[in-house]
Formats: sequence, structure tokens, C-alpha cells
Amino acid sequence: MKRLFLFILIFITIKSASASIADSALVEHTSLENLMLQESLRNPALHGIFYQRAFSQLVLGIDLQRQSTAFIPEKGNGYTLPYLKVSTYHHLNDHSTVWGEASYTTGKQYDIQWNSTSDYDLLQPYILADTMGGDIRHERYWISGGYATHLGKWLLGGEMLVRAQQEYRGNDPRMRGVVTDLTLRLGGGYDMGHYRLGAMVEGNIYKQTNSVAFYREEGVIPEYQMTGLGTEYSRFSGDKRSLYYDGNGIAIMLHAAPVRNNGVYADATLDEHRYHRKLAEFNSMPLTDLYNEHIGATIGWKQDNGYRLNTSAHLDYTRHTGNEHVGGTSDARYFPVIACLTMYKSHVLDGYLRALYGKQNWNLILTAGYKSQNEEYIYPHRQMESSHAYGKLQGQCFLRTADRMLLTVNAHVSYAGNVNDRMQMPYANMGEGITQLMNHKHKFAKANYTDLGAKVRADYAWKQSGYGIFVEAGGGLTLSSTNEHQTVFQSAIGITF
Amino acid sequence: MVCAIAACAPVEDDLFTTAHITVAAGDDLTITRVQGQVKLTNVNTRQVTTSADFEGASVTVELLRGAYQIDIEGVATCQSANGTTRMRQFRCQSDYAEFIRKEQNDTTLNMIFLD
Repeated sequence: MKRLFLFILIFITIKSASASIADSALVEHTSLENLMLQESLRNPALHGIFYQRAFSQLVLGIDLQRQSTAFIPEKGNGYTLPYLKVSTYHHLNDHSTVWGEASYTTGKQYDIQWNSTSDYDLLQPYILADTMGGDIRHERYWISGGYATHLGKWLLGGEMLVRAQQEYRGNDPRMRGVVTDLTLRLGGGYDMGHYRLGAMVEGNIYKQTNSVAFYREEGVIPEYQMTGLGTEYSRFSGDKRSLYYDGNGIAIMLHAAPVRNNGVYADATLDEHRYHRKLAEFNSMPLTDLYNEHIGATIGWKQDNGYRLNTSAHLDYTRHTGNEHVGGTSDARYFPVIACLTMYKSHVLDGYLRALYGKQNWNLILTAGYKSQNEEYIYPHRQMESSHAYGKLQGQCFLRTADRMLLTVNAHVSYAGNVNDRMQMPYANMGEGITQLMNHKHKFAKANYTDLGAKVRADYAWKQSGYGIFVEAGGGLTLSSTNEHQTVFQSAIGITF
Repeated sequence: MVCAIAACAPVEDDLFTTAHITVAAGDDLTITRVQGQVKLTNVNTRQVTTSADFEGASVTVELLRGAYQIDIEGVATCQSANGTTRMRQFRCQSDYAEFIRKEQNDTTLNMIFLD
């Protein structure tokens, strides 16, 4: 698998080597302005005309994160993740564009507690968990590629994204999660007068096999089938340690933007993903179904007359609905499902205003928003709620320090302040471990956060060769009102072509 | 779009039901009064619901729809066919009873006398 993947990385590198690199291509592809229009890149038809210049790079890098104590215990208190990545964006001719990315990441995540399942962000709260936890090894293969063309006023495009990932622990409890995640996108666009309309449809298939093994018999501890806010499916917890997740999803996006640089733009997205947790050892008995639904809308206005001005308003609403299957009486390891109850609900609302102002070699983005989260387990009733107002300032500057040397400096500072919070738990019926976990999670969910960071990238272009090299280093510090902190460090070297 | 997203996830919010449990002592005895405690353990979540609110030989409990293990212990006033009345200690037990229907679920358990 590794050899095949390295072959793909080298193949993409060689195939793309004919593309030329200019500083302007680097600026175009790494500009902070892209953040304002990022949503439209999900439509492959629009992705194909998003950049004017070809740009490819091969990167060898490392991402590190350390937290003084885990902000979210299920995600651990840090990671060390070296990676090798190649990406390319290339115009085949006046009509057609191809792009692709392949990467291999391997490393370690530290001190993961109350979680023996991969992809916590996707599958929470329906995970397998134990009280011991520990470090886990992480390995990820990623490959994506797309093609877009335009025929007269019509734009057409397709894209495929594949993620294969495994996480495992080499000592008890030996968790293992093997993930396959495939996404296909089809997009179209139409130039109607001064406006370009776009539509995208996306399909996703997800599978994870998840198990925990113990090699030392005297060290066996129970694994819990978590069902939200510290609750568990007791009947199938304990020694039921082999399960899998089946998932699928669809997404639709509509987009409208001016063909030229000035005017109003808007997009709307609708995502729905469902994940079914099944017990492998009981004839694939379904335990829980999780439905993650998201609606997003943006409306903005942009202008480029020697200076860039872009303002937008964005609203995201995400709803998680969790259904628990009620198992009946068993018959030869077969458990019929006698009812299905909606026991878990979560709502996340995130709205923000964003403004970009930029000139030829610098950009500034100011974001101000409000985010609220409300998580609820219906019976026995448990609730965790918090909301924050936040602001963020991001800056970017391109500096030519020598004839062929370009420095890209990115920096940001942000603050998120608690507006209100609430927690309700049946403490009298909760164990000590779960009580500590819930209190810890709420403490960090309601905390105030100050975040600052900077990243510097130096690019050197070789004369007439079309190749360049770069080094990149960045760091960040997040301070929490709980008197805990997080540091991140990123470093990379690579070649551009 | 909002209507579309609302239709996506199948939501079952009818979570609770009523369990109507009757204790019986056979054809020869009539139970006129019971003083005891019923303990219902959800076999899936191990959550326990209790009640001592007997009316005659029956008790009605509001609980989460699901499968339950039932344990009842108490004292009952029993009247025999010849008219004699006697207080008797009893217990009832069932390893599995489904209370799934959204309306009332009826079940009858036979008493085991301990005296």
C-alpha cells in the first residue's frame, strides 16, 4: 500500500513538472482572499476556473500540537504528525483544468481518553470508550482529483476524494479503527449575463471497522458503547468490543457570483450524513443511528479596483440527531430491534460577518461572530449548553526580499468570550469517572479563549527552470480562561513547480 | 431547504409509555389490596424505575419505551373462595417484558407466596 501510494505521489509530481511557477501563481493560490470564496471550491466546475495560473508543490512537513491538559479528552492532548503531500492545479488547455492532491500522514496522538473510535468529530457521541485510553498511532492516506471544462456558457466538472485511515494502539487496550471514506462530486455552472450560476451535488460513502483487544487477561476493562453526554448502552457494553460504522451522505450547493470581480455573490449548502453503528458479533445488530445535518448560507459583496474589498455574512446551522435501537430478547445471538427512540439532540448555530481589505501584496480579514451549542440527552435528562461571541483578525503579507526570494507572512489573533452556559446532569446516578469527564468537558466548552499565531514561508525560484524551493515555519498559542494552554507548531520544506 | 432538512432524520419523540402491571394469585384467591414495590429494570440501559402506587392488584408506571425486567415484592390481602381473608407475603418476577406500544401496555404476573 505504501509503495503504491509513493508511486502515485511521484507520478503526480512528474506529470505536473511541465507547469511553470511564478510568484504570482503562488500569491494567487495562497492568498487569504481565497478564504472568502472557499465554499464555492466544493463545486468542481467552479474550481476549474477559480485560479488563472497553474501551481504545484511537493511538501514534506510536520504538524505538532500540545495542550497542558486535554481540552477535549476524547481527542487527546496533542499530536505529532509528519506528512508528505503533493498537490497540483494545471490547465490542460483553454477549456480544461485538472487538479489533484495526494498525501501520506503518519504519527501519534497523545493521551486520548474515553474514546476508542476513529473520527471522533464525525461520529460523536456514538463512540466506543474506556476509562484507560492512552496514545494512539495514526496513519492516513489521502488522494483527490478533479477535472473541469467549459463548453460555451456551460461549465462542467467532477471530483473524487478518497481517505483511507487507520488508528491503533500497541498496548492494552489495543483499539483499532480502519476508515474508508469516499466522496464524489459533480458540478455545473452557467454564465448568465454578468452572473455565473453554479450547482453541485455530492455523494459520500463511509465505513469504519472498530475493535478493541486485550492481550493481558488480568488487565481487561469494560468498553462502553457511549450514547451521549456520558450515557452508555449498558446491555452491549463491557465485553462487546467489535463493531463497525456504515455511513453515507449527500450534499447540495447552489452558488451565484458575478463573472467579473465586482458585485454581489451568494451560496447555499445543504449536507446530510448518516452513520449507523452496528455490533459485528451479534449479526450486525444496529445499535445507534446518527444524523448530521448542516445548512449554510453566505451572501457577500466584492470589489477589485486596485484594492480588494469583500464583505460577507455567513450562517451555519448544524443539527445532530441520535436514534437508539431498542434490542429485544435474544435468539441464537440475534437481537431483534423492537423500537427506535430519538435520545440525543445537538444544535450548533454559527453566524458571522467577515470583511476583507487588501492591496497588491497584503490582505486583512476581520471576522466577528456568535456561536452557540446545545447538546441534550432526553432521558434521564442531561444538557450542556454554551455560547460565545468571537472576533478574529487575520493578516497576510507578501514581501520580495531579493530578486528571486518571496516571503509570505501570515498572522492571526482571535478571542472567543463566553456569553452564557448551562449544564444539567443527574449527578446522583452518575459514576465518578463520568462525572469528572462531563465537568471537564463543560469547563472547556464554556471557557474564554485567546488565540494568536503566525506563519512564515520563504520561496526561492530558480532562474528559468520553472522550479522553486520553499521552507515554512509557524506557531500558535491558545490561552484558555481555565488557566490551561495549547501550543501548535508547523514546519515544512518543499519544491514548487 | 429547511423543510427538506427537517424531513431527513427520522425522529421518534414518543419516548414514554404506560405500563399497567397486575399481580394474580390464581382462580382460588382474589387479591383485594397490595402493599409492595415494583422495580422495573430496562434491560438495555439498566435504568431502574420503581413504584409502590398499587390500586387493588394493579400498578401503573410511566416509563421509557423498551424491554424490562420486572421484580415485585410485598404483602397482599388475599380472599379465598370460602370468604376468609389473609395477609400473605409474595414476590413476582419476569425476566423480559416489552413495553413498546405508545399507548398503555398491559401485563400480568403470577404471585409466588413466601409464607
